[in-house]
Amino acid sequence: MADSMNRGGMPDGRGAISAPSASGAQPADAAATSGFEGARENAQALADQVRSKIAVQLEKHRAPSLLPKHKPFKRDRHKPVKVAFFRYCYYDPAFKFFVEQVLDAEYLPLPAPTKRTGELGALHSSDYVCTPFKHHLGDYIEALELGANVIVQFCGPCRLGYYGELHESILRDLGYEFDMLNFSVGAEEGALGWAKQCMKTVNPDLSVTNGLVKLAATADMAVKLDEARDFYLANAGFERERGAFERTWNALMDDMRAAKTDRDIGAAYRRAMEAMRAIPLDKPADPIRIGVVGEMFTAIDERSNLGLDAKLLALGVEVHRALNLTNRWIRYNEPNLRASAADYLTYDMGPTSTLTVAAAHRYAQEGFDGIIHAKSAGCTPEIDCVPVLQRVSADFQLPVLYLTYDSQTSDTGLDTRLEAFYDMLAMKKEKMRK
Amino acid sequence: MTGIDTSEIAKNPIVGNVSETRCGAPDCGESPRKRTLVRDEGLEPQDGVPQRAAASSVPLVPSGQAEQCYLGIDIGSISTKGVIIDDARTIVARSYLWTEGNPAAAAKRVIAELREQIDPARMRVVGAGTTGSARRLVGAMIGASVVKNEITAHAVGTTYLHPDVRTILEIGGQDSKIICVQNGIAVDYAMNTLCAAGTGSFLSSQAHRLGVEVEQFGEIALTAKRPANIAARCTVFAESDLVHKIQVGYAREDIIAGLCNAVASNYLNNVGKGKKIVAPVVFQGGVSKNAGVVHAFEEQLGMPVAVDPDGHLMGAFGAALLAADAGPVAAVGDGAEAKLRSEASQPSGRSATASSPAGNTPAHSSAPAEEGGPFATGQFDFDAALDFAFTTREVECAKCANHCEIICVYRDKTLIDAWGNRCEKGEVKTGR
Repeated sequence: MADSMNRGGMPDGRGAISAPSASGAQPADAAATSGFEGARENAQALADQVRSKIAVQLEKHRAPSLLPKHKPFKRDRHKPVKVAFFRYCYYDPAFKFFVEQVLDAEYLPLPAPTKRTGELGALHSSDYVCTPFKHHLGDYIEALELGANVIVQFCGPCRLGYYGELHESILRDLGYEFDMLNFSVGAEEGALGWAKQCMKTVNPDLSVTNGLVKLAATADMAVKLDEARDFYLANAGFERERGAFERTWNALMDDMRAAKTDRDIGAAYRRAMEAMRAIPLDKPADPIRIGVVGEMFTAIDERSNLGLDAKLLALGVEVHRALNLTNRWIRYNEPNLRASAADYLTYDMGPTSTLTVAAAHRYAQEGFDGIIHAKSAGCTPEIDCVPVLQRVSADFQLPVLYLTYDSQTSDTGLDTRLEAFYDMLAMKKEKMRK
Repeated sequence: MTGIDTSEIAKNPIVGNVSETRCGAPDCGESPRKRTLVRDEGLEPQDGVPQRAAASSVPLVPSGQAEQCYLGIDIGSISTKGVIIDDARTIVARSYLWTEGNPAAAAKRVIAELREQIDPARMRVVGAGTTGSARRLVGAMIGASVVKNEITAHAVGTTYLHPDVRTILEIGGQDSKIICVQNGIAVDYAMNTLCAAGTGSFLSSQAHRLGVEVEQFGEIALTAKRPANIAARCTVFAESDLVHKIQVGYAREDIIAGLCNAVASNYLNNVGKGKKIVAPVVFQGGVSKNAGVVHAFEEQLGMPVAVDPDGHLMGAFGAALLAADAGPVAAVGDGAEAKLRSEASQPSGRSATASSPAGNTPAHSSAPAEEGGPFATGQFDFDAALDFAFTTREVECAKCANHCEIICVYRDKTLIDAWGNRCEKGEVKTGR
């Protein structure tokens, strides 16, 4: 960039060079004599010196050029550092694509979480921190044990924004050595700040042009994953052959993990959608529809909500969930979303509050049978949503089941509540039909 | 804590061990005494049974032909309840006793008590439903055709007896719930989360502290002139509040009335938060037998609160009604077709859940009886159910790093049910 500026402004530049040359020639000449001596030891110094001589003595006019001179080609931009994300529901193919294609580094896949993950996270966290923090900390510890060099944390508009900082200091106190790609750092500069962070912590040689193209593909992959998941949630509860949808879904995940280009992503998506549409269904004309709303992690992440999706689908329910990366980040338009539920929302209340209320409002308008609100214990923005949801519930005669999760692993209480919720909706529906 | 005289505490051994009083465990050790007290206090056991049952003893079917009856058992954390309903869906036998930390044994005792109350020549029990926190275990034990959560069971039972009810308040031993009803259908519910403050076990642990039987709480509370102000948000705070009030010298009845008020306000603030409470209100669960809490609810809600004499049995009654809806259990021999049907219609693989009304199960698919189970002949065999030895074993699955705890239930050394695994690797093959 600076190069082209200099060259573009050649006439001025020349003046600038010639003007100080009177004063600047002195040190240059002095350096020249010593430079020639040093040249015996260091050929590089010699080359620099020669180049500076030429620049100073240049009289010949050089054609101005708007394009930067072609930089020497970096044969190997790949950086063999292992980058690990925390576990986040079904987005690991997108994380992998981001690391391998955008950052041009190595992605460290994590195995399925176990009880130990949760215990490790809870052990090293403050008891009152939000539950996702504990899960992430457990994930990071496992990732570092598996050999990760860099771990990644998002930025966010609630406590999530401080997660990275805290995770880093806790892990350093525990004695781990790593680099942290924390998107909260540089967030004030926006995309530029994040790009700087990526180059600084992961790969200084990454190609920016290629990175931008692949970043668009990463976003596309997230959108496609979300669209496939929406179809899955709406229909998997009615499959005739048990497990058919899950098989297709797992195949999609494998395809997405193997994807290297935009084209691979599109092909994998089309293949999965065709396969899912072909699965025979026993879907009643008027199935029970439940909308899931809630907090960023708990409402989506199966490990955080103890397999809420699977439990609802096993009951034979059509599940809808507006909260995902697409709706929250890629296509998020907060003011318009808020306007859609203007009766209930005046201000933006935080990370997912607008989406929670607006989605619940839309489900109510669409005549859903019930809403499930999932949050982690101590999630202030979602606690703020509860009274609003109660109003929506009263206005539309729509039952809402409020679920609060902490780092518990027993799902007996959850089963009881979900079954009771389902029974209630089913009995109500049957009564209405009569 | 400076005001507390330590010698006072030493006199009452329970005060010294706070954790013991708090966990609600003391109930378990003293059941025989409590059981007699329950009878004296009119918790409506067998003999004091009201008109409904009396009316039902008029034979509805011609004599000589056995009546089809259904069994319902509600196994709670503190107490176990059982009923038998006849063809006309009236309760003909009832039992209420303490679980004592052993649901299988409690269920057997309930079954034994119920058997004494019916005439086996005239009544055949052809189906059973279980509910409560040990529903799965006892359901497997007795081969129940319906295993239902307690919220649904309570809603079904109460709306059957009180079709016009709008709000059901329920406070049990360890949990409390509110169910909103419209046109005889539950439309909304809430259940306590994370905290058991203001439930039956809280009251009984406080009764221990005060040296009063929890069954006398109601009477004593109603004599209070000026109920003490006690924080009931949390048992720990309530206890320190209580100790303070005792040491300051409040009258015992005022403290007890204060506790009852605290339970009611804690319930309304936590469980009933955001729910519109509309009359008629029915209050049930074990705590509904406490007149002090009923009075506190009436005062705080400003509306009458009805307590059914069978209120504590409502879960068991609901389970029996659901079993009756599911129809009689088919005997092993002629159940082959039914078995096929029900297997096809349960894609989720949940064993013995009731036929879901809006789901894909036909409304009257009679569940197949299990080979060798108490329902093998299509009729509940009381002796078989009482003779079988049931054991539960916890197995830690070692097939992956998650180490799921799998609970296996054995009947006479045959594995009849298992649950707790999270993937196909840990699946346990059972006869069911």
